[in-house]
Amino acid sequence: MFYIHQTYCISPQRTFPQVDLEILNHPVNKKLLAIEPLYDGIPPGILRRMGKAIRMGVGAAMPILKNTNALNGIIIGTAKGGMEDCIKFLNQIVQYEEGLLAPGNFVQSTSNAIAAQLGLMCHNKKYNTTHVHRGLAFENAVIDTIMQLNEHPGNNYLLGGVDEISDFNYNIETLAGAYKEELISNEHLYDRDSPGSIAGEGAAMFLVNDQKENAIAKLKALQILHSEDDGLVKNNLKQFIAAHLPAGEEIDLLLSGENGDNRTLKFYMDCEGLMETNTAIVRFKHLSGDVPTAAAFGLWLACQVLQKNDLPLHMIKKPFTGPHCNNILLYNNYKGLQHSFMLIRKY
Amino acid sequence: MSRIFITGIGVISAIGNSIAENRMALAEGRCGIQNNLDLFPTKYSGVLPFGQISVSTASLLNNFKISEPGVTRTTLLALHAFAEAIQDGGLSPEKISAAETALVGASTVGGMCLTDELYADANKNSNGSPYTSSYDYASITMYLQKHYKMNGIINTINTACSSSANAIMYGAMLIKNGFAKRAIVGGVDSLAKYTINGFHALHILSSEKCTPFDENRKGLNLGEGAAFLVLEKEEDITGKKVYAELTGYCNANDAYHPSSLSEQGDGPYFSMQGALQSAKLSTHQIDFINAHGTGTENNDEVESRALIRLFEKPPPFASSKANIGHTLGAAGAIEAVYCVLSLAHQEVYANLNFKQPIAATGLVPVQSYKKIPLQHVMSNSFGFGGNCSSLIFSKA
Repeated sequence: MFYIHQTYCISPQRTFPQVDLEILNHPVNKKLLAIEPLYDGIPPGILRRMGKAIRMGVGAAMPILKNTNALNGIIIGTAKGGMEDCIKFLNQIVQYEEGLLAPGNFVQSTSNAIAAQLGLMCHNKKYNTTHVHRGLAFENAVIDTIMQLNEHPGNNYLLGGVDEISDFNYNIETLAGAYKEELISNEHLYDRDSPGSIAGEGAAMFLVNDQKENAIAKLKALQILHSEDDGLVKNNLKQFIAAHLPAGEEIDLLLSGENGDNRTLKFYMDCEGLMETNTAIVRFKHLSGDVPTAAAFGLWLACQVLQKNDLPLHMIKKPFTGPHCNNILLYNNYKGLQHSFMLIRKY
Repeated sequence: MSRIFITGIGVISAIGNSIAENRMALAEGRCGIQNNLDLFPTKYSGVLPFGQISVSTASLLNNFKISEPGVTRTTLLALHAFAEAIQDGGLSPEKISAAETALVGASTVGGMCLTDELYADANKNSNGSPYTSSYDYASITMYLQKHYKMNGIINTINTACSSSANAIMYGAMLIKNGFAKRAIVGGVDSLAKYTINGFHALHILSSEKCTPFDENRKGLNLGEGAAFLVLEKEEDITGKKVYAELTGYCNANDAYHPSSLSEQGDGPYFSMQGALQSAKLSTHQIDFINAHGTGTENNDEVESRALIRLFEKPPPFASSKANIGHTLGAAGAIEAVYCVLSLAHQEVYANLNFKQPIAATGLVPVQSYKKIPLQHVMSNSFGFGGNCSSLIFSKA
């Protein structure tokens, strides 16, 4: 699999550049909006033309690009990247009745604009790709990175997950029933027995390679699955743990993608049911929002835990009791259909 | 790592609804581009030429007996090509739904073919159309996953006009790396008011039928289509019909401009060079190139330069975009199918509408149908964001 050496995250919380998760930032108009930095180092002329997903992606990747000479590829997962520019262009088409339109929004609306902009900024002419498979866009980027490293040992890859919540995709997702109708504060996301979650956005970037020395974490295994059958998902997870958890070890921490939606709760409860009595349980969707690429935030969070071994109370569903945190299981699902399991280990 | 073979193909485009119809039209040098767009109201209907597929959305729905709401034309075109590919490849329903069968799709339009519905939903001018979960690129692959009860790795890629070339690469890598035993890979895009206006705003839509690699080319024509290929490992193909082997692939970035290629064509050069390296072939071993050849000022000259830079004297080459238009996210997969047909039948198809070589490069594409011995064939796909990919197919 691979080792993570650097990671940065722009999110609705205080995660960039310094990390402080103690104080919880709250939603604005029912959306958890990313706290964007000043983006020092991006020329203003270029910054002005960037859509939000591109800004966040480039912003979170900048420290990695600065510290890394030889990147062998850029691999991005995004489900909603470019949505804002897309609808802006669409609105132009309708409002100006297909008249003379400015192409800027159109060019920026393609999902691959984030990876392309990163390639452009660091003059990287190597492997460059964009996975857009909705709730498994980031996970497929992870699989891609694993395969690139298998075929090209010794290489360094920039891996990232980015999504934006524009007014437009918020409207579409609201009509599709993705969010809670009632106004709730994010610390109470898990308390309501109602359908829907909370909107969010953000970008998490990782520098990964196959070198163990000085790594923050190792991604030991990953599995993805499409199913609405909770029994099938549970069986797959059981087999995944049996196949990949070293003998005699336990899952010390479950990072649960629980999102407050009573339609998907059963999957998370099944997952908790497979854990040992000592396994701590931590939730994060009240920080990130229910983003299709939430697993990227989850993986960044796993790296935080392994580095600092310390999390605020508002994230803890079941506290740590064991002496150490070596094995982290990240379980996430998107809309009760797209599931992913990741086993992350300390190194 | 395993060798990868193509054991099933399916395609729908402006020149035909099946493999047989597409091959016949290519051999006869037929063009499917016309000024008769009637899929949706647009002021460019009857004004600009498009590669529209003759089958209506209603008859596609009817053919697949789909009565559920929310299924878009893009999904239906994908379903059509996918169904042909799995039938051609002889995959049973059990094999398709096995955990070791991967599906990798690609699209740049997704459900955005429904421009007016999307406009209403995104601006909350409606109570929610049936399509709120059908606009994104993944909606197509997700539909195929559900329709065929697939349990393997499923992915969707969008690297603009090279999307489905990367889907083919990704599927091959899944097999080589043990994530799948077989992969069904491809891409789809349907015509949309969205892309028509986007490319028009960039001033790269031709008002006439496109003329790839011609000195007086005026731009591209948009088309629609879908293609899927069944990829299997050497160990699993005994006794099966085999079209070709996928021997090389490479993805590289031009890192120059969001919507045009650099003068030197570094992206195209590196993707072609990398594909040769991955296939362990040298330039003189490539017998034919299915060029990206969109018919734009920028692409055709840069691609020609990159061909000369790498090959010195490039092998016979042609673009099929004068037959079917630029099908964006489907282009890489459709052209991969055409390469596979070329290899299987030892024939190459004409680059239509060519009259005069580009002065700066002087390259002349294949201008008529020919039977020639083919061992290795290259396919190029270049896209916005500098995303360039090249694939090499070899005689099985």
